[in-house]
Amino acid sequence: MSQKKVAFPRFGNYNLCIKYFVEQALNAEYILQPLLTQRTLEAGARYSPDSVCAPFKTCLGSLIDALEAGADTLIMPPGICRLGYYGELHEQILRDLGYEFDFINLSRYSTGKPKDYLKALKRIDPDLSAAHLARVGAETLKMLAHLDDTEAEYYKNCGFEVHHEDYHKTWSRFLAAMETAQSLHDIEQAYSWVKQAFSSIPISKPAFPLRVGVVGEYFTAVDGFSNHFLEQKIADMGVEVHRFMSVTNRNLRYHGKNLQIGIQDYCCYEMGPTSTANIWAAKHYASHGFDGIIHIKSADCTPEIDIMPVLQNISADYKIPVLYLSFDSQTSDTGLETRLEAFYDMIRIRKEGK
Amino acid sequence: MGKHTEVQSHRACTIGLPNGLLYAHYQVLWNSFFAGVGLQTRNSGPTNREILELGNECSIDETCLSAKLYLGHVRSLLGTCDYILVPRINSWGRQRDMCTRFASLYDLVCNTFRDSGQKFLSCNIDAGKKLTEESAFVQMGEELGFSKKIAENAYHQAKKEDENQWKLRLRKEEALYREKGIKVMIAAHSYIIEDDYYGKPIADYLRSLGLIPIRADITDRKEALKQSLKVSPTLKWEWNREIIGSLQMHREQIDGIVLVSAFPCGPDSMTDEIVSRHFAPLPVLRLVLDTQTGTAGIETRLESFADILSFQKKGGLAQ
Ligand code: SF4
Ligand code: SF4
Repeated sequence: MSQKKVAFPRFGNYNLCIKYFVEQALNAEYILQPLLTQRTLEAGARYSPDSVCAPFKTCLGSLIDALEAGADTLIMPPGICRLGYYGELHEQILRDLGYEFDFINLSRYSTGKPKDYLKALKRIDPDLSAAHLARVGAETLKMLAHLDDTEAEYYKNCGFEVHHEDYHKTWSRFLAAMETAQSLHDIEQAYSWVKQAFSSIPISKPAFPLRVGVVGEYFTAVDGFSNHFLEQKIADMGVEVHRFMSVTNRNLRYHGKNLQIGIQDYCCYEMGPTSTANIWAAKHYASHGFDGIIHIKSADCTPEIDIMPVLQNISADYKIPVLYLSFDSQTSDTGLETRLEAFYDMIRIRKEGK
Repeated sequence: MGKHTEVQSHRACTIGLPNGLLYAHYQVLWNSFFAGVGLQTRNSGPTNREILELGNECSIDETCLSAKLYLGHVRSLLGTCDYILVPRINSWGRQRDMCTRFASLYDLVCNTFRDSGQKFLSCNIDAGKKLTEESAFVQMGEELGFSKKIAENAYHQAKKEDENQWKLRLRKEEALYREKGIKVMIAAHSYIIEDDYYGKPIADYLRSLGLIPIRADITDRKEALKQSLKVSPTLKWEWNREIIGSLQMHREQIDGIVLVSAFPCGPDSMTDEIVSRHFAPLPVLRLVLDTQTGTAGIETRLESFADILSFQKKGGLAQ
């Protein structure tokens, strides 16, 4: 049997982890489609129902990119909220367009039993064993945590580098190393290298720099293209940027129930798939002296709209400004920059006044 | 002391029931439950222009119309009752989710009206955490100071009442499929089609045009859930599944479908697409309601849809 050519929608830096997993665990070729561009989004939007949330359109566009790049097998993650239902509609739309491919929609296998995922993945590699899957799975999660932690480090400091692009160059080299990693050893080596490299980049950072916390809807918050590289834009103004939301933090590191305890004064229940983590992070930023919070989401994102009244209360209680941004395929870069600059000016003046 | 005196002291207590979202599903159960434990209820009444404006003012702009109306109803009840009931429902089981807005509703309301001094009563149903409807009602009863026994009895009585009334409604609705004439299924969430300001006028207008509107949401729910998987195997929202399954069950008996959604609606944004694709060539009209929607525009669209259907019934277009 010839090797399958597997692809996954573009999603932040996480495709590097999927690539590793597919190549090492499933004995298949991974097709890494080109980075997302406006063209991807437009193609996705053209074939999507109008009022679906933006990540649906972006994912559809990047699946088309993958098919054009030679993929014959597409994997759709299972998921919370509308995301868990994306796959079925994506498949229909792509088939109606005439594409031929094998579609592995993990939502169809999400019975809660890991065994069923194994069944799904055996469609790619019939010889896959549970033990092998577990081992490569664990390595992949390591890579994921390293990517998230390194990115967090990056946005905290890149705005203060002395030599232009020092951080960016190092970060790109690290990503390239992760893209070609073949083993846990490669992963760990790249990670030690980047930690070392980051710490030797000269920076000039004031003792009390401006600090902004970014919270928001999962996909838009972690996918740079989808948020117009907002974190880079703010960091470049000379701001330390923090973002709690990441696959590592949301899905692996923290226990939702325990985060919920810290935000009892604002809400009794889990309000939506990412609400607890976001409210917790917003309160954390507010109570730790941050200068501002930016809430980002794709337009009409139900769960994130619903936490806005909570964020407004946090903002009032801690007297911290919150900027609310919605993204869709119409969002313009200039409009966004204007709003970010105004926000930056406000928090800078407030800080100077303190 | 003890439970008994507690109950006595609660005699005068009134529970406010906002007439939006869950009310359409729960009115019988709630009203009989509270009557069963001896509490009074107060309803916010039919939606009107004022409720719409009250809700619009205190909502986040991008919130769906149904939730805006709901907040309007809650706001009109503030200060008029001891508690306002705002349930939270997350899921009924695997692949039986609610739109996330129902998971956030209680906290959304509490945060929106934080400074009002109003007390809110929750009723939390979440299958994943083993919180069933019954346990939610019992807990709610206990929170109001009643014994478990009293709350349980009231719930069982209310549930019986609810089931009986549902059977009657279902029989009436199903009789419509046997009538002669052009039959149109209205596929909409119950709270939209039962809304006096937005939904009911649509059914009334269809009737005035000589059509027979039939509600997809009043259906054999169990069967509908099953049938929905034939249309869409991974569909996960309980109420959308009921509606789509109901369309599937009756597709041979009807002449067209009118989809009515609130703007912007997460689940409907996706299921409307599925319906249009799956039920073709059955004519489908899609209406999206928002705060700006006026009757005139909707009536014109319903009229031309009625024209198409009657033309087709006579054998016109199909040939
Ligand atoms: S969380 Fe928001 S963006 Fe994501 S699927 Fe749900 S509505 Fe869409
Ligand atoms: S299902 Fe649609 S109309 Fe109903 S609460 Fe959710 S978003 Fe609003």
